[in-house]
Amino acid sequence: MFKRYELHNHTTQSDANITCRELVDHMLADRVDCFAITDHNTTSGQPIIRRILEEEKLPIRCAYGMEYTTYYGHIVCPVLEQYVPWDSIDRRRPELLFRACKEAGAVTGVAHPFSYGDPFARGCRFEMEITDFSDVDYIEIVNNPEPLHEVNEPGILWWESLVLEGVRVSACAGMDLHGLDSMGMKFATYAEGTEDGDPVEELKAALAVQRTWVSKGMLVLWAGSEDGIRFTLFDAKKPGFVPSDRYVLTLKSKKWTKEYDITSGSVTVPYDEIRFEDAVPKLYGGDPILENLICVAPVIRTKA
Amino acid sequence: MKELYRVEGVVNRGFVGQITYTVCLEEPLKKLDIHFAFDASLRKFRPEDITADLIEETKETCREKYGLDIDDNRARDIILGDMKTEIHTLATLNDAFIGCIHRQLSDRHMLYDGDTATEGCIPQKEIDGVLKVTVLAFNVIKDGTRYILTVEGE
Repeated sequence: MFKRYELHNHTTQSDANITCRELVDHMLADRVDCFAITDHNTTSGQPIIRRILEEEKLPIRCAYGMEYTTYYGHIVCPVLEQYVPWDSIDRRRPELLFRACKEAGAVTGVAHPFSYGDPFARGCRFEMEITDFSDVDYIEIVNNPEPLHEVNEPGILWWESLVLEGVRVSACAGMDLHGLDSMGMKFATYAEGTEDGDPVEELKAALAVQRTWVSKGMLVLWAGSEDGIRFTLFDAKKPGFVPSDRYVLTLKSKKWTKEYDITSGSVTVPYDEIRFEDAVPKLYGGDPILENLICVAPVIRTKA
Repeated sequence: MKELYRVEGVVNRGFVGQITYTVCLEEPLKKLDIHFAFDASLRKFRPEDITADLIEETKETCREKYGLDIDDNRARDIILGDMKTEIHTLATLNDAFIGCIHRQLSDRHMLYDGDTATEGCIPQKEIDGVLKVTVLAFNVIKDGTRYILTVEGE
């Protein structure tokens, strides 16, 4: 089974206009499996949500985190139960903070890397220079409120270029909620899990092997077969998802991009067409243009 | 509440970084109030602050950082609508994080007692030891931006 994660959410504990209680109710109403509280530079909402979930025994899991909101970019940690100081933030050595967070058991992500910063909102663009991604779990390739082409497209392209160079970093999406915005037809993060599994541990396991999906509700799965790689569609039943009349799968490697019609629900791509190149599968509802993007799947490591 | 510490400072345009003040609490407290304020009139640009140099600088930043080619009117809109002084506060007690207020305010209190705290802050049963208050300057748009930090306790 697949579990849906909403990994980037704020409350009145920082600059949002929804309380912790409203955030919990909003996530429950949208049938989210696991959501994170990621207020700017504070963990004060964590015990409030923990109390709500424990006292009311609600059927939802919270990941207790924070968004490091620094002068040079935002680092979203959907899991950060032990506060790690960031006052030594160094734009040329951000790895030090990523590593300190990982050593404290955190999940680390680069948030909205191409948002507009100064002079609009200093710190919103990720201006830190990462040379070692060892302690970066993921890149938030889609930050839903941000403009598709100006901000999210370069985020997707950056992640693609990294993984096609062999960097081990996952892709995730975030609502960056500051109010009770609708989550229908917005990108969420999905990972494999089991009925009784702990979603937070399953997320960590998925990130460790770069097996996360960014999707509006339809996932594209792949598996090796005798004839080639078989791609199938999987409806994650996300509330508000509007199915398309036509689905197109693209595979993008460093050398080429190929298209396949997958409206029938599956397609098998022979190995010789892939020519042992690593490739990123993406699903579109119609022509393969960004406006029609539905899902970004984990990179296929055919080289390995 | 009794004033335990008071400091005033000035930051100038372009300063990005933090300033930390350390207060050794002389006795255990039941309540704590950390108050930080800067001159609200300096938080935003006013139309009379706009100069040709500021417009050019804004256009150049947009071009260099984002590839945006904007005209003078758009630059004016950004200067008046988006650019702001943004300073937040963070506190630790005995090196443990006890809160941060990350909201667009020019005047803020971080109030603590054993059971309650201002949003962004964590209630403290024992308020004793070494308090550190960090002023986080994300953006300062005007020279001579004065601020006052006070710590009061009961």
